[in-house]
Amino acid sequence: MRGAEVSALVILDLHNHSIKSDDGRAKVENYCQWISKKGIGVDGFVLTEHRQFDAESDYRPLEDEFGILILKGSEVETDYGHVLVFGVNDEMQTAFDFTRIGLSAELVVREVKRCGGIAVPCHPGRTQVGMLAHVRERGAVDGVEVIETLNGGSRGSENDDAQSLAEEFSYRGIGGSDAHIVSHIGRCSTRFDQDIEDMDGLVEALRTSRYEAVRVSS
Amino acid sequence: MGMTAAELKERFGDTVFDSVEVEARGEDMVEFALACGETDPCFTDSSHPDFQAPANFATKYHGARMLPSDFPKFDPARMIDAGKAIEIHAPIRPDTKLTAKSHLHDIYEKTGRSGLMVFLVHRMEFTDESDELKAYVDWRLILRGGLQ
Repeated sequence: MRGAEVSALVILDLHNHSIKSDDGRAKVENYCQWISKKGIGVDGFVLTEHRQFDAESDYRPLEDEFGILILKGSEVETDYGHVLVFGVNDEMQTAFDFTRIGLSAELVVREVKRCGGIAVPCHPGRTQVGMLAHVRERGAVDGVEVIETLNGGSRGSENDDAQSLAEEFSYRGIGGSDAHIVSHIGRCSTRFDQDIEDMDGLVEALRTSRYEAVRVSS
Repeated sequence: MGMTAAELKERFGDTVFDSVEVEARGEDMVEFALACGETDPCFTDSSHPDFQAPANFATKYHGARMLPSDFPKFDPARMIDAGKAIEIHAPIRPDTKLTAKSHLHDIYEKTGRSGLMVFLVHRMEFTDESDELKAYVDWRLILRGGLQ
């Protein structure tokens, strides 16, 4: 989507971690306070906790208080690196073990789609935990349509490599901050040209090509 | 080592493998607070009516063992300290005798830029003489390269 004309209706930061992740140091409330106080230009964010889906937390009171959309996904670990999962449901959680490392990427992509979600390999330009090096070694993963081309925790060259990979395989690109601490939220996001109110809407939007990865400034 | 993280957790998780007794002396609490840059007199002045140890005080203690005596052996050069987290349950007052019991609270794997890592979470549970829970200190240790 680089260079495409996307008139923004919604900007969402699609990759973040709270204290529910073992290495997350930010409370969700503090993310909201930061976005609000600093005037970060995002309408919402997705919590993608490591190797789990946080079904229990209810962030609706924070959504109401701050006027920010808060959605929940996951980040799982596969033989092709880390993969964001959007649209997690009960069926998907029985299809594969979110806690396991070394899951088959092909299985994750296939099962997530079968269960109504969408799987997005993240920070593909990073060594070991990104898809690029694995693709070069073993070929592409069937079924991948979208990758994270802009990651707030990746080096510039790693994001450049991710963008090149997207262009080579005609993948669509999203952006996410990969925030683990409060001040990192909103560094990278995804701009959609349609309204999104919930996870179903996000998954539906990600199946289109009406979005682009963007850097956001306050 | 021949065991997966899940097997290690099943074998060693939640079993107390070490217990030590320590005394939280008021002068040590003041010294620790000042070294941390505390300025609140409730941490730095032992005559303060609410004098207590600073929140991270219990992290200064360590037990006699890092891991259970029968934990599988590995090359210590592959181990790195991933820091400590503390969960406070009640203030530690001066001259309290504390008992600190250690167990492996969690063992899990993850992958990072440098490859496979196994995290060992050593939890020390601090209680006072009346068995009141004062704090948990979780010490994370990383085994780079996994459980080979």
